[in-house]
Amino acid sequence: MGDIGLLGFGPDGWGLVLFRAGLMTLAVSVAAFLCGLVLGTLVAWARVGGNRVMRALAEAYTVVLRGVPDILVIYLFYFGGRQVVAAIGTALGFAGPFDISGFVAGMLAIGLISGASQSEVLRGAYQAVPRGTIEAGRVVGMGRFTLFRRVIAPQAMVTALPAMGNQWQSVIKESALVSVTGLVETMRQVSVAAGTTQEHFLFYAAGAVIYLIITTLSDQVFRLAERRSLRGHQGAGY
Amino acid sequence: MITASIGPALSLSGLRKSFGHNEVLRGIDLSARDGDVISMIGASGSGKSTLLRCIPMLEIPDAGTIAVGEDSLSPKGGRLTRTEDAIARRMRGHLGFVFQNFNLWPHRTVLENVIEAPLFVQGRSRAEAVDEALALLEKVGLAEKRDAWPAHLSGGQQQRVAIARALAQHPRAILFDEPTSALDPELVGEVLKVIRRLAEEGRTMLIVTHEMGFAREVSSRVVFLHQGRIEEDGTPAEVFGAPKSERARAFLASHFDRNR
Repeated sequence: MGDIGLLGFGPDGWGLVLFRAGLMTLAVSVAAFLCGLVLGTLVAWARVGGNRVMRALAEAYTVVLRGVPDILVIYLFYFGGRQVVAAIGTALGFAGPFDISGFVAGMLAIGLISGASQSEVLRGAYQAVPRGTIEAGRVVGMGRFTLFRRVIAPQAMVTALPAMGNQWQSVIKESALVSVTGLVETMRQVSVAAGTTQEHFLFYAAGAVIYLIITTLSDQVFRLAERRSLRGHQGAGY
Repeated sequence: MITASIGPALSLSGLRKSFGHNEVLRGIDLSARDGDVISMIGASGSGKSTLLRCIPMLEIPDAGTIAVGEDSLSPKGGRLTRTEDAIARRMRGHLGFVFQNFNLWPHRTVLENVIEAPLFVQGRSRAEAVDEALALLEKVGLAEKRDAWPAHLSGGQQQRVAIARALAQHPRAILFDEPTSALDPELVGEVLKVIRRLAEEGRTMLIVTHEMGFAREVSSRVVFLHQGRIEEDGTPAEVFGAPKSERARAFLASHFDRNR
């Protein structure tokens, strides 16, 4: 079996590059999650308060993204995106070669995938806000924006947080798919290391540990946020 | 505190509202002068809650005019236009509304519930809003609960906070939508006591209620609604003592039978 020293941080160890790869996983996941959050909020808003055209567009988006494999979306953005960028670049008279970074393609692709499910979570959370508390806000003269910021969002957040935690976990795991673009994140790095050293078991196990560390730590963060957001809704201890 | 201006505090004319094919309000005319305490009674489905909810445009009437102080609106059902919405918000700013189910904001403490609109709608200073809110909580007997969460209060306490929240609006008129109907019987008294005190202060109030004894005692006027129309409108002595319409007689008879 493998030499555990290979995972060390010394000159012969892979420790440092694996650490960097872990950070890259975190970075691309955070970027994709935020991208999905913005998109998910807009889509949820379109579905709840939009006109017929907006509702139809939002509906179409969620249906398409739910029905297409994630890996295909990434290929579409990375390879397809490169083609589009090249076409536009050439048309504008720039000389090639044209490229789109794996990070950006991955962020957009996973953001788009996550946005579809985040919009479902957010819509459900909005619908769970008691109508009466919204009426109470309208009746004191709140406008749409104040109503959203002071009454709807804080209550919807409480409902949405646990499910948003799950969305974040999915994004972290989906980020492994971005390795197909050559972006050196955890998945890519462990397979390179495994190939180079022929210590497959050791490095894939190390990769699993890196993902587990990230997911466990973020789980703690979400739990903390949930506890804080539950103030007032449950026992006085919160 | 109560400013007597020219004209009624509140006036409704020709108010109509349907839900689908069900015509709930069939032409309501009603106006309240400053200091009036008007109780609205009637069977469930008579339209009294809908009438009350039309005043701050929680329901948009299909026809008719609503005036609060100097502002008035004559919407035609559906949605309000941008201009109408701005007027509606100004009108709401001059009203207090107390819901049957309290509708406190569960994510804010008692004090935060009361200072919310003064701070985030009216733009008053925090110090001023807090001072006033504490005085209002004192008035409804809940000063010591200022930092409690609504979920930890009894229904009667929540409703008293809701009344303090309505008073923080500096309302020209306060609207009560069956303020004691969601309460356990033993908690009704504490809420009625607060409303009675407001009546004694000369506040302008419209109260939808099933508490006949209370209506008789605090009101300057009683209005009886039946199938979306006002059937009786008079002093408590007139409406309770000598109702003119057959329907009002039947309604009151059944009510007093049940309660006595």
